[in-house]
Amino acid sequence: MSLHFAHPALLWGLLLALLPLAIHLFFRRRPKPLPFPALEFVLRARRETERRLKLRRILLFVARTALVAAAALALARPRAVAPEAAAAVTAGPAAVALVLDASASMRYQLGGRPLFERARADLLEVLSGLGSEEPATALVCGGPAPPAAPPPGFDRAALRRLLREAEPGFGHTDLSACLAAAARALSEPAAGAALGRRIAVATDLAATAWRLDAPAPMVRTPAGAVRPSVTLLDAARGAALPNLAVTGLAAEPDPAVGPRGWRITATLARFGGGDPAEDVPLSLHVGLGAESRLPLRAFAEIPAAGAARKVLSHAFAAGGPTAVGVALPGDALTVDDEAWLTLTVPREVRALVVNGSPSPVRQRDEAFFVEAALASASSSVRPTVVDAEGLPRVRFADFDVIFLLNVRTLGAKASELAAFVEKGGGLFLALGEEVDPDRYDAELSKLLPAPLHLVKTAAQRGAPGAAERAARFAEIDWDHPALSVFTGPGREGLLSVRTWRYMLLKPGERAGGAGRERVLVRYDDGAPALVEARRGEGRVMLYTSTLDREWSDWTIRTSFLPAVQRIAAWLAGGLEERREAPSVVWASRTVAPLEGQRILALVDPQGRERLLPPPRPGAAPGPATVTPDRPGPWQVKVEDARGAHLEPRLAFAVLADPRESDTTRLDPKEVTAWLGGEALARVQGEGPSGGEGRSVPLWSILLAVAVAAFLAEGWLLA
Amino acid sequence: MTAPGTSLLAPEVLAALQGLKLRVRHVAEGLLSGLHQSPRHGQSVEFAEHKEYAPGDEIRRIDWKAWGKTDRLYVKRFEHETNLRAWLVVDASGSMGWRGKEGRLSKLEYASCLSGTIAWLMVRQQDAAGLLAVDRAVRRSVPPRAAAAHLGAVLDALAALEPGGETRLAAAADWLVERAARRASVVVFSDLLDPDEQVLRSLSQLRRRKHEVTVFHVLDPAEIEFPFDDPTLFLSMEDGRQVEAHPRDVRRGYLELVSAWLERVRRECAEADIDYVLARTDQALDEVLLPFLEKRERSAA
Repeated sequence: MSLHFAHPALLWGLLLALLPLAIHLFFRRRPKPLPFPALEFVLRARRETERRLKLRRILLFVARTALVAAAALALARPRAVAPEAAAAVTAGPAAVALVLDASASMRYQLGGRPLFERARADLLEVLSGLGSEEPATALVCGGPAPPAAPPPGFDRAALRRLLREAEPGFGHTDLSACLAAAARALSEPAAGAALGRRIAVATDLAATAWRLDAPAPMVRTPAGAVRPSVTLLDAARGAALPNLAVTGLAAEPDPAVGPRGWRITATLARFGGGDPAEDVPLSLHVGLGAESRLPLRAFAEIPAAGAARKVLSHAFAAGGPTAVGVALPGDALTVDDEAWLTLTVPREVRALVVNGSPSPVRQRDEAFFVEAALASASSSVRPTVVDAEGLPRVRFADFDVIFLLNVRTLGAKASELAAFVEKGGGLFLALGEEVDPDRYDAELSKLLPAPLHLVKTAAQRGAPGAAERAARFAEIDWDHPALSVFTGPGREGLLSVRTWRYMLLKPGERAGGAGRERVLVRYDDGAPALVEARRGEGRVMLYTSTLDREWSDWTIRTSFLPAVQRIAAWLAGGLEERREAPSVVWASRTVAPLEGQRILALVDPQGRERLLPPPRPGAAPGPATVTPDRPGPWQVKVEDARGAHLEPRLAFAVLADPRESDTTRLDPKEVTAWLGGEALARVQGEGPSGGEGRSVPLWSILLAVAVAAFLAEGWLLA
Repeated sequence: MTAPGTSLLAPEVLAALQGLKLRVRHVAEGLLSGLHQSPRHGQSVEFAEHKEYAPGDEIRRIDWKAWGKTDRLYVKRFEHETNLRAWLVVDASGSMGWRGKEGRLSKLEYASCLSGTIAWLMVRQQDAAGLLAVDRAVRRSVPPRAAAAHLGAVLDALAALEPGGETRLAAAADWLVERAARRASVVVFSDLLDPDEQVLRSLSQLRRRKHEVTVFHVLDPAEIEFPFDDPTLFLSMEDGRQVEAHPRDVRRGYLELVSAWLERVRRECAEADIDYVLARTDQALDEVLLPFLEKRERSAA
């Protein structure tokens, strides 16, 4: 017999029972002094009534305290519940397998108590009720795969310890597989040939935990395969389990909000019945640990048994890796009330665009298209345009990346440019009529990915059939970070570029060491169109045509704007790799350390370090495969030249499994039918209709006590 | 305290008693003339005053000279003809100073009014009235005299009384036993809140010595009804005792005790042949005195 409360929070009202005592102690009236001649009679009257009065005072105090306490208890709607589990599973000796559902949904708080606690108590009671001749085993199903159950035995203490030490997990559990594992354990010879086979499952009956299309559990016995009898102990006692959850989270840049503006889309869902949720408060969290902030609150409406999407826009104050989380107010199942996502906000890139062929007609200006692309609202690049004549007055060190567009010569600035690139700066070279290959080879010999050779004309622009004869981009390195943004139909924007003239490079004459140049795009005749090279700490990218409409029409293609922006970010070192989407609990993922780093540990959402096994001696540090076991933002601790530290670029987010958020309950008839019908399976604890007589409401009794206390108080006062 | 002779003898009380004559139940030891039957006739001849003849007066005592002068019959009265000698014993202890409500007479004031009225009536019909004020001991005594001028002395003594000290009526009884050799009427005005529960036994000694004893039991209504509601610290008026109690809790017991006490006092008075009159200070004085005087008259007749 256990006590349950429908509104446990109202139990705080029990503190009101202290009111009579407090009034007695602190609000007692001071007696008024009065000279009185017949004092002797007062003394005698008091002496004679003292014991009676003392008893009356105590009874009054008890009555008032009982009145308040009973009323407060009654408001909490208590009921006494007598589980029927023991009686159900002890009908005839049998080998018994106890299955404890430890999935994330078992963390649901019902009546102020997690379902998991109820389920464990139910199974412990079953265990206590087993006969001495009945062997038993137990499985705690909370991991990604059903555990292997030991053969049934008589070590009750070990089973009790196993159940008591069990904790609910954060992932999804396949109870059908768990029952199959329990059936395998009952197939062991240790189960005894003469005994029956019984499985007791303590669960919340969440429908997503069951695969009723899978074969029902069967136990192999010497007499053949038989169905075990199954008792499903409903931890929810037939109650509905309404639940609000954040089931998805996505983010994408939102230029309307600003250069670092992002649009975060949260998918909110309501499961388990109940009314539509209106004005549900929603909060957006940005950052992890001490840097976490709450910049935004909103409200959402979620339909009953449905989902809704809520879009939140936020402009990040600075670029770099960060994490965002969306949280609902805590409900009975808190594990899915928030979801996290890691993303990298682009850093601001300062770009210098050197216009080698300015023109008063903007469309013919060499830098017109590049400047327009870099300065768009969604771009994190801030361009500064100068003419070639103004080049001597510019300090390259003030910029992150230099665009040289059809510049005739650098003159004395060539050496400064080389030093700029050597120290980590980015350089983009676009050619044109002004460029003299020999002069470029001489001035920029240390920077050019390859020496320039001569200009090739594929077709005369405007001539009949020129469009067909123009060169096209053929071999494109789609995996390159600057070009990986083009996927699917988006690639057409590059493949459709027509080029009439372009500069050929001298084959086989590399300016740098082998392997430091990379041809990203080739024309259909095999000539390089876009070549990248590492020079010192910096990168150089050479485009063999023009970035106006003289030699090519790339500038009017849809691929131009994103390509130029990403190239600028890439050359400036501000383009991060695409972050992986959040995974769900128990899903494996690979964490690849950055260059020169070694992964030491993972830091889970609660801030606890999980050390990774050290690599084998002599093995190079490489990616680690991890299996996060709880939702939330995870951080990675690495070791590099700076020492051990958290690497924000490696942080990742894990979502609660949406299947566990779905608390829709299984129809007991379906599951009993799957398990062989009511002759073999039954669900216990289905609430008042399914377990008549098991749950005794106490609030009416308490109200009667309160009324009796009230009447007693009146009688005592009279 | 107001001036003697005014408030103590309120005119309305006196007017109400105008036609009554105080009668004694038993013939006092002393001289008796006029309406009173005295066993000692003419032992003293000291003229005191004339009295208008009334049927029953001895004819031989008619002053014929006065009849000749005035054409009215007068009877000569002598000092020894005073038929009653009364001691008015007033309890002046601390408890008698209490009044249960503002504007109400304290018990001592009420007792003084009663005793003063009786003294006035007695002196008016040539009876001797004396005063004995007592608390722990006899505080003041005025010997009985029948002269009209004596009334002022009695009333002055009454007016000068201040409540104080414990109650010990036995002291008055002892005093009277020792000093009152002649039969007398002893009228006691007290709340009887005496630590000595045998106080009535002391008074019965006087009765055994042929004194006529009457007790006016003076109580404030609040002492009888206990009308208090709030938690109260009750303080003794005669010693340092005090008790904290909620009247709601002790009222029932108190009323039972007071009722039993009044019943016991009545019973003991009856057993000792002592007249008992309960005088509540909210009662008009004539309501208290008239039944008493009528009873006296009836018994005298």
